[in-house]
Amino acid sequence: MNDPAGATLPAPTLHAQPVPGNKGIWVGIFCVLVEFLLLFCVYFIAKAHHPAAFERGPDQLATVAGVTITLLLLTSGYCMVKAVAAIRRDARRTTFFWVLAALLLGLGYPIVKFFEIRWNVAHGIDGTAGIFYTVYYYLTLNHLVHVSWGLLGLIWVATRTALGVYSSRDHSGLEAAAMYWHGTDVLWLIIFPFFYVLR
Amino acid sequence: MIGKAERTWLTLVALTLAGAWLAETGHAGWPLSLVVAGLIAVKGRLVIDRYMAITPAHPRIRRILHGFVTLVPLMVIFSHGWGDVLRRLTTLG
Repeated sequence: MNDPAGATLPAPTLHAQPVPGNKGIWVGIFCVLVEFLLLFCVYFIAKAHHPAAFERGPDQLATVAGVTITLLLLTSGYCMVKAVAAIRRDARRTTFFWVLAALLLGLGYPIVKFFEIRWNVAHGIDGTAGIFYTVYYYLTLNHLVHVSWGLLGLIWVATRTALGVYSSRDHSGLEAAAMYWHGTDVLWLIIFPFFYVLR
Repeated sequence: MIGKAERTWLTLVALTLAGAWLAETGHAGWPLSLVVAGLIAVKGRLVIDRYMAITPAHPRIRRILHGFVTLVPLMVIFSHGWGDVLRRLTTLG
């Protein structure tokens, strides 16, 4: 009777939450998935109307750029897996190291993209080079925009990790950034074969 | 030490390089479409289940993510096999 209501209930831990990160990030992730699903429809419809252009298109692109971006994103994602695992052990310095590694690898994406586009333009592949390349620029640059949001998120969580904000009990912000980052990874794993492999 | 995360990363890298090899050898047609659909499904599931560790998450989140990486490969197969149907459905006039 002396206990205030609910005082004896165990405090809910973040690990027990069924939503990884926080609900807000999932609203964002699902909006991005819907957006890209529509863009993929654009890709399939354009491909259905211009099959020859989509059969020839990948031959002109630099596959090495697409592969490098994929490897950078996969390795960066792996670093975020390690970062989340480290903060769950309260290993804050290790967490910071992994987030920083994820960020540095992620920054490789826009750099590779810059050189890829420069190479494309030097070979006459710009947005007016044909329907395949229009859709290619449309989807890949859109993805680059979302990766940029992810990179800003990583800078934010790297700063907060360095300030010692996160702990094993409270790291939903770090986990949310990791979820978004992995979400951009999933999208790229679809975009890569669309433009560099599939004919 | 090679743990679950490392094994996942190595598998994803190997599948990516397999895709790159396919791109460079200039394969086309049904076999390529089926392989690409499979690669998208497997790599997508690996990232969702192992990187995002979504298994204990809210079932709705899990279902939507799994649905996404199942739907897109089906779209790959549909667009390859029934491209003329898609073209007819999306032609104005």
